[in-house]
Amino acid sequence: APAASASFDLRRYWTSLIADVESELDAAMPMQPPESIHSAMRYAVLPGAGKEGAAKRAPPVLCVAACELLGAPRAAALPAAAALEMLHAASLVHDDLPCFDAAPTRRGRPSTHAAYGTDMAVLAGDALFPLAYTHVISHTPCPDPVPHAVLMRVLAELARAVGSTGMAAGQFLDLAGATALGEAEVMQVLTKKFGEMAECSAACGAMLGGARPDEEAALRRYGRTIGVLYELVDDIRSASGNGKMRSNASVLRSLGMDRALGIVEELKAQAKTEADRFSDKYGDRVLPLYSFVDYAVERGFELQDAAATL
Amino acid sequence: AAAASAATTEFDFKAYMGERAVAVNRALDAAVPAGEPPAALHDAMRYALLAGGKRVRPALCLAACAVVGGPEPWAMPAAAAVEMVHTMSLVHDDLPCMDDDDLRRGKPTCHVVYGEPIAVLAGDALLSLSFHHMASVGSYPPDVDPEKHPARVVRAIGELARCIGSEGLVAGQVVDLEMTGTSETVPLERLEYIHLHKTAALLEASVVIGAIIGGGTDEQIERLRKYARSIGLLFQVVDDILDVTKSSEELGKTAGKDLASDKTTYPKLLGLEKSREFAEELLSDAVEQLACFDKEKAAPLLHLANYIAHRQN
Repeated sequence: APAASASFDLRRYWTSLIADVESELDAAMPMQPPESIHSAMRYAVLPGAGKEGAAKRAPPVLCVAACELLGAPRAAALPAAAALEMLHAASLVHDDLPCFDAAPTRRGRPSTHAAYGTDMAVLAGDALFPLAYTHVISHTPCPDPVPHAVLMRVLAELARAVGSTGMAAGQFLDLAGATALGEAEVMQVLTKKFGEMAECSAACGAMLGGARPDEEAALRRYGRTIGVLYELVDDIRSASGNGKMRSNASVLRSLGMDRALGIVEELKAQAKTEADRFSDKYGDRVLPLYSFVDYAVERGFELQDAAATL
Repeated sequence: AAAASAATTEFDFKAYMGERAVAVNRALDAAVPAGEPPAALHDAMRYALLAGGKRVRPALCLAACAVVGGPEPWAMPAAAAVEMVHTMSLVHDDLPCMDDDDLRRGKPTCHVVYGEPIAVLAGDALLSLSFHHMASVGSYPPDVDPEKHPARVVRAIGELARCIGSEGLVAGQVVDLEMTGTSETVPLERLEYIHLHKTAALLEASVVIGAIIGGGTDEQIERLRKYARSIGLLFQVVDDILDVTKSSEELGKTAGKDLASDKTTYPKLLGLEKSREFAEELLSDAVEQLACFDKEKAAPLLHLANYIAHRQN
């Protein structure tokens, strides 16, 4: 394992990256007629003011970090990173709907339907999905350095991750109460709802960075593992406080705290093993991926504070 | 030339549409992952997608590919994709928080059968599937040009995404929503904005992406875009006319709904006679765009325009 892990400043890396992603997102959604829908879309994707306002933007971090690991420019991955946030936000807007999770708040402020009405929230989600594809196509540097065939694969990957065998499957299973069942079902929900999106993020970064097939496969496994890890730690952290969603509390009830902590250790080891595969070839460039594993577990800093010092 | 014109006059539209519908239904059925969990989600997607319908949008897509000289099978993934998007927009449009419709194509709507949250999710999943299906190499026949094909597919996906998003289909739905429930009459230009976005945008995408995949020139693509926008608006004008002249049984959906909800329609703004005249104008605008194409190859698009103008349900 790279000994320099401790000296790498993930917070600085992440903060500068989030700033890039935020400005990419801001520019991708200009206010234009009809203003109501564009305002709702911006509200769903862009961070609000206040303590819990800053979004963590884990999918774009994974996407860009995977691309930069391979030595490719950040510009190749930034449009896909922004698209991942749009797709993610679209799913969350629909997940929060009164007929779904009925979540009145998200990131410490009213959820999109609470602020704009249920009908507008349905449509904001419906518009954010295609905007993600439009954005990737119109902003990714193509055909150089990203060939059309690679961009086509990225589009397929994005659509797969949020589809009926990916994140939507997780939402469906969660809705059906799978997190109240055994460990296998709980892990299935976490893998589908969070692992797929994280795998997609790393896979897109890999493709856009020109990864070899074995590198892409390792980054996929890394992404999937860290997606589940990140969420499980979130569930553990919020179990003592107020559970955000239906699934949070029931994940911990089903697994039990001891087993949940055991799984965290297993996932952490797996993710580090995948990241280690790259250390010989890419040296210090693996540090963002490597330190991200520790951060997922320890949460050594708050991004709000980081954003405030920017 | 005599043989060609004979073929044009003898074009069997019913058989053409029947064959396309069978092929499109087969492609749609195969595109929804079978046997993969979660079964109930895939059931809901299948229920909405395979509920029948004439597959006008896929037919337009296939015909546009053929008219520019592309092999029809190249456009089948795009044809399936536009039908998935169309279905998805209907599923979400029918939701209680939107138009609140219980009946669609003569059958109970998706949320009535599967419940609201599944209907939201099934719609989202169909939308994702449409893009996944179009972007997957495995969806296409092996004879596509490996050099030109990926660029065409990427351009076509960009076109589809733009046409259905907040500057296209969704924009139409938003303005339509904002107009519903207000007692004032919607001015004609507003009505046209709604329909050009809510209905015409997806017809435009269907035609344009078929032409892109088929290898059409920019000039051909733009002519076909104009054709599609005319028949898109035409589609809605005819829909409005049918709503006041036909029964629910004939339409397979609730008739007289526009009148009951005091919705602004072309018959309400222009009167029935003027609405019919407007429809004929739009039809001739559309047909005019086909003049520069080979007559025989353009026959399906010509007949599709006529069908949209003169359909009875």
